[in-house]
Amino acid sequence: MIFNTFAYYLVFLLPAAILYRLAPASLRVWVIVVFGSAFFLYFSYSMAGIWGALCLLIFLWESIISRLYRPRSRWCIVGILQSVILLGIFKYWNFFTGLAFFGRTDLIRWQGAFLPLGISFFTFEFYHYAWDRKANKTEAGTLGEYLAFILFFPTMVAGPIKRYEDFLPKLRKEPTAWTLDWERGITRILIGLVKKFAVADLLTAWTDHLNVHDILIADRRVLILWGLAYGAKIYADFSGYSDIAIGSARLFGIRVPENFDWPYGRRNIQRFWQSWHISLTRWLIDYVYIPLGGSRVSTPRIYLNIIVVMLVSGLWHGAGINFIVWGLWHGLLLAGHRLWRRFRGDPSSNPVAVFSSRLLTFVLVNAGWPFFCMDMNTATLFYRRLLFG
Amino acid sequence: MLSRFRSTIEYLAGERDACPPFLRGHIDLLLRCLVWALAMLLIYSFSGQSSKFIYIDF
Repeated sequence: MIFNTFAYYLVFLLPAAILYRLAPASLRVWVIVVFGSAFFLYFSYSMAGIWGALCLLIFLWESIISRLYRPRSRWCIVGILQSVILLGIFKYWNFFTGLAFFGRTDLIRWQGAFLPLGISFFTFEFYHYAWDRKANKTEAGTLGEYLAFILFFPTMVAGPIKRYEDFLPKLRKEPTAWTLDWERGITRILIGLVKKFAVADLLTAWTDHLNVHDILIADRRVLILWGLAYGAKIYADFSGYSDIAIGSARLFGIRVPENFDWPYGRRNIQRFWQSWHISLTRWLIDYVYIPLGGSRVSTPRIYLNIIVVMLVSGLWHGAGINFIVWGLWHGLLLAGHRLWRRFRGDPSSNPVAVFSSRLLTFVLVNAGWPFFCMDMNTATLFYRRLLFG
Repeated sequence: MLSRFRSTIEYLAGERDACPPFLRGHIDLLLRCLVWALAMLLIYSFSGQSSKFIYIDF
């Protein structure tokens, strides 16, 4: 829940934002650290009990190790590996051991598996900092500044994914413009809550039907409606979430990256990914696509790199075959679009062509959502019913 | 036309700081008050059925 609870606003956001603005410069980062830690303990405990709350130690451990990072230092590699290993254990242990041992994993299965609050997102920030310190692309900052970066609670749970070199100057800057920041920030939070309550949650009445029983008895035309409803719901839900996170950060006087830029109106799949979950797309380009060679390798390798990046994106979204298929779908679309552009050149400005490409992009993106929101068997059934009755 | 519509929506939704030129003055204040009032009305009307944000589980 978190952003749709009174506790978030009354216990954490408002007191922290006011104190942050009133505190002297030397104490401001510690306001974020104290409230960020309390936020993590409170919501982790309410979701995953004492073990969830104890995961705060991951942040503390990571911040201690981060003080050893130097350009070209092996400690940076340790930092990168430990963040990936932690994510692997918590998120993928049962999935990969299940795949490796064909489901016969009683002895090594983690029965009480749980996901620490925000682990998929804070892993990105741990990884980014270690990588950029190794490449000497960002300064170390103080321990307090680093802790404030990783414990900044408006973006801790589900982004937008921040960059240290972008966040640090904002943290060091004296927060001014109370009136403008609060008016814009509160407006953004209210719009985010409207998207969640009045759009996303309302669409649940349709998306709840995306289960085996209802798919089996539904008319094919209704399946299209339910599929489209999920496409609208996930946009309203996640862009609403991002609005609240960005608006909350604004109350501190800190601007964090945007995550959405009218993605459903885009005229090709590449543009779609440049405007959907923008901070994730940029992270994947910088820390997966470019290290793989990016576009400076042979043509077949470029296509392979694109597909690998989207497979990573799919797997990151969830430990399930359906998420891998969803990632593969988008990888093939992006590779197909690149191939198309190679042979057809720049896109046409003919209004009919523009409209058609926007519509086609919308349809193709929405065709992928069933793999995102249902397990593999249910998604396969959905498509079997939709295509063959 | 479309970009004007877009910048107006983004301004009223708190995404942009710069007010579109044709909204300056009393109409700007009036519209912003209207957005807050409408948003609060919608939140109040629909808040009883809220569910978890999807990306919290990722």
